[in-house]
Amino acid sequence: MKIGAPKETARGEARVALTPESAQHIKKLGHECLIEAGAGEAAGFDDDAYREAGVTVVDGAQALWEAADVVIKVREPSEEEAGFLRQGQTLISFFWPAQSEELLEKCRAQGATVIAMDMVPRISRAQKMDALSSMANIAGYRAVIEAGNNFGRFFTGQVTAAGKVPPAKVLVIGAGVAGLSAIGTAASLGAVVRAFDVRPEVAEQIESMGAEFLFLEFDESQDGAETGGYAAPSSPEFREKQLALFREQAPDVDIVITTALIPGKPAPKLWLEDMVKAMKPGSVIVDLAAEKGGNCDLTVPDERVVSDNGVIVIGYTDFPSRMATQASLLYATNVRHMLNDLTPEKDGAIVHDMEDDVIRGATVTHAGEITFPPPPPKVKAIASAKPKPKVKEPTPEEKRAAEHAAFLAQTKRQVTMLGVGGLLMLLLGQVAPVSFMQHFIVFALACFVGFQVIWGVSHSLHTPLMAVTNAISSIIILGAILQIGSGSFLVILMSALSVLIASINIVGGFQVTRRMLAMFQKS
Amino acid sequence: MLGQGFVSAASIAASVLFILSLGGLSNQEKAKRAVWYGIVGMAVAVAFTAVGPGIGGYWWMVPMMIVGAVIGAYVAKKVDMTEMPQLVAALHSFVGLAAVFVGWNADLERRRVLAAQLAESSTEGFSAFAALVATKTPAELMFLQIEVVLGVFIGAVTFTGSVIAFGKLAGKVDGKPRQLPGGHMLNAGAAVLSLLLAILYLNSAGFWTLLLMSLLALFIGYHLIMGIGGADMPVVVSMLNSYSGWAAAAIGFTLSNDLLIVTGALVGSSGAILSYIMCKAMNRNFINVILGGFGGSKGPAAEIEGEQVAIDTAGVASALSDADSVIIVPGYGMAVAQAQNAVSELTRKLRSAGKQVRFGIHPVAGRLPGHMNVLLAEARVPYDIVLEMDEINDDFANTDVVIVIGANDIVNPAAQEDPNSPIAGMPVLRVWDAKQVFVCKRGQGTGYSGIENPLFFKENSRMLYGDARTSIDSLVPAIE
Repeated sequence: MKIGAPKETARGEARVALTPESAQHIKKLGHECLIEAGAGEAAGFDDDAYREAGVTVVDGAQALWEAADVVIKVREPSEEEAGFLRQGQTLISFFWPAQSEELLEKCRAQGATVIAMDMVPRISRAQKMDALSSMANIAGYRAVIEAGNNFGRFFTGQVTAAGKVPPAKVLVIGAGVAGLSAIGTAASLGAVVRAFDVRPEVAEQIESMGAEFLFLEFDESQDGAETGGYAAPSSPEFREKQLALFREQAPDVDIVITTALIPGKPAPKLWLEDMVKAMKPGSVIVDLAAEKGGNCDLTVPDERVVSDNGVIVIGYTDFPSRMATQASLLYATNVRHMLNDLTPEKDGAIVHDMEDDVIRGATVTHAGEITFPPPPPKVKAIASAKPKPKVKEPTPEEKRAAEHAAFLAQTKRQVTMLGVGGLLMLLLGQVAPVSFMQHFIVFALACFVGFQVIWGVSHSLHTPLMAVTNAISSIIILGAILQIGSGSFLVILMSALSVLIASINIVGGFQVTRRMLAMFQKS
Repeated sequence: MLGQGFVSAASIAASVLFILSLGGLSNQEKAKRAVWYGIVGMAVAVAFTAVGPGIGGYWWMVPMMIVGAVIGAYVAKKVDMTEMPQLVAALHSFVGLAAVFVGWNADLERRRVLAAQLAESSTEGFSAFAALVATKTPAELMFLQIEVVLGVFIGAVTFTGSVIAFGKLAGKVDGKPRQLPGGHMLNAGAAVLSLLLAILYLNSAGFWTLLLMSLLALFIGYHLIMGIGGADMPVVVSMLNSYSGWAAAAIGFTLSNDLLIVTGALVGSSGAILSYIMCKAMNRNFINVILGGFGGSKGPAAEIEGEQVAIDTAGVASALSDADSVIIVPGYGMAVAQAQNAVSELTRKLRSAGKQVRFGIHPVAGRLPGHMNVLLAEARVPYDIVLEMDEINDDFANTDVVIVIGANDIVNPAAQEDPNSPIAGMPVLRVWDAKQVFVCKRGQGTGYSGIENPLFFKENSRMLYGDARTSIDSLVPAIE
């Protein structure tokens, strides 16, 4: 099959769907690669680089569309490009089928198969072709870079001879792929990063990237697992609480990066005009949702605007394209993985398997029919989160009360034990001879001393402790010594045996303890 | 011959030295001095008692001491550190046996004295002990008999119990809990019978009652410890340690010797505390451990999903090369494979590469309290990087790589996650919080307790199958 990548026609689009690197992999699948002359120029890949990789360079878009069996693109096809499509041809690109019904209908009418990269289901197996994630990753990174470009201070806090610089405070709203990438980038630049998301289960991910999760006390929190890992619209009460939280943050933060998107809906307005007013002059807002209307009231898509109080609002929609080389490399790899799945035998023959979850999900037109929306995938995106039981922090009074109660209980127990013990001693004293009681005092005191002393022994020395106690428990040898001078042979024999084994024990026990202790050494 | 005053003074000195000796074990540096206190204390006690009033039979005593000392020194020198648990158990059995002998002797001497008094013959030729008995009142003699019964009973249980514990630890006896038909009823029966015999004995029946009771006690010791699984041996060994102390204390009462009482009480309480600590570390009740085996679980254990993913040494080596912080969790398997030196070598290499390496030790890792510490110390792992469970458990989340070497139950997440697990509630090392966990294990079997370990099926776990020593040895050169 011939796989061809035309030059992107959308204004300002610098990415390309085929790189020399991905071409080499695609050729291994048995395909032939074509590229329109100059298609990779803006992304930093010139025609010669493609030629070296064995790609045929074709002049003109029309020629390419005619020659290629499978056309790979970044952006959705333009009106004109859709006209080039023909029966049996396959198009792989971003398509946004929900928002572009007319285009979808047109492609169907042309008889082409369209695989929308934005429709790849979010399951583990399909991660390697998840172009949305790879683009969002770039967008998140770039958002921080753009913010830094417009922000007049350091990200990291420093104490220098020329004065102290406080660290920049960054608030990231929405912890999807873009949000997490922005958090990681900002944190590694040294900023103090806070992040918010409506899905409480992402708190762990946020914290793992080095940000503080702004927790919102609210009962009906969302479980993102139900919606394939994406956020769903929230209730008005929740929204109010959320806005209050942001209002509180606004005067404090220097940089706000908003990434909140709800699939198939306009972006929710989360950073309102009054919050922008509350921010310090020179602060920067980067709105990654600008294409879908923006999370900030002041956002103008594709523009950088400055508010009356000097807050810069960036509404660019082409962050990935601003890093065309990186974006092309990742996108081309995603596309290559898609082709890999479409060519199961690696023999250059495309097999469009509509039973396959991933291929079925991404295909929007096939064999003259519109196949969008796809049925839900058989595999759930992520395992549903278990609800975590909340542990209530006890108040100081409660703590004190609990401590007091514990103290009382302990006192009671000790007094009872002492009472019972005392009573037993009294009873014993009634029957036992005086000499016994004298020894018993010694015994009781020794037990106490033992208990007090042993608690102080460090855990790592428990084995030596055992060896030492073992050695000294052979003090029983004294008993044998006292008896060995007896007149009875049987007694002498048993005493002698006792002396023998107790001696083994004494010497062996101490010797082993010394050996063990000699090994403990400090580094 | 020294007077009684000298002997008493020596006893006081020895008691103080023994207390200092145990108290000194609070840290590693002091401990080296503390053991000398113990040695001097013992030397003083034995020497002064031996030259005290009324002592004879030196022709028996001195050669026996010398022979015993030589054997003891030889054994202590020869034994491998991994065989420590067996050795300690074996030595406990000696104390138990000595207690039995001394108890029997005490009774024989008592009979001799009584016979002599009845015949109104002279008390010439009595041992020091017999001379003491001759001065006792009937009430005191009654108590003496009670003390003999206690000393002999505890001593006999300690003796056979320690022998079985030795056998289990040395692998000479099957580690699984095994009981004769009748189980604990048999023990209870033997105990009741012993009590009856003891009462008969106190009512001046013949020596045979004491002898028979001793045999029953020997049986109880054997049967009790046979019924306890190998994994519970740390508790058993410390319990026997405690018993050997109580036996000595009981004999001390018999002989009216305060030094024996004090020392016995010290050892007895030490062993009791150790058993308590061990039980607590396993979240087990002491009675539960002694009655043997794990109690029946309350429901089916949770099914484990996923599979164990194997990895080769090269994979582990590259992960270690990339890691900044490493925690090594050793278990009994390390002792079995004698891998401590290889582990030490690995530690040295990682540390010299600037990585943070620490050891996480579970209180019941190994077959003896503190077993792992001793093995690591033997292999010259500095003790300040060897940490206890409570010190290190919260650090796993910030750790890049955890290597579990021959440990199973002490890193089993089921203890915390699955209420139906037989070890539910036992505190464990939370190794699974780390970024990556490598488990060094002989094969896909379960651990000593026979419980499946969900850790091995976790996504961040990789299994390195094979002998621990060979695996770690081949790992060391592979690390850059």
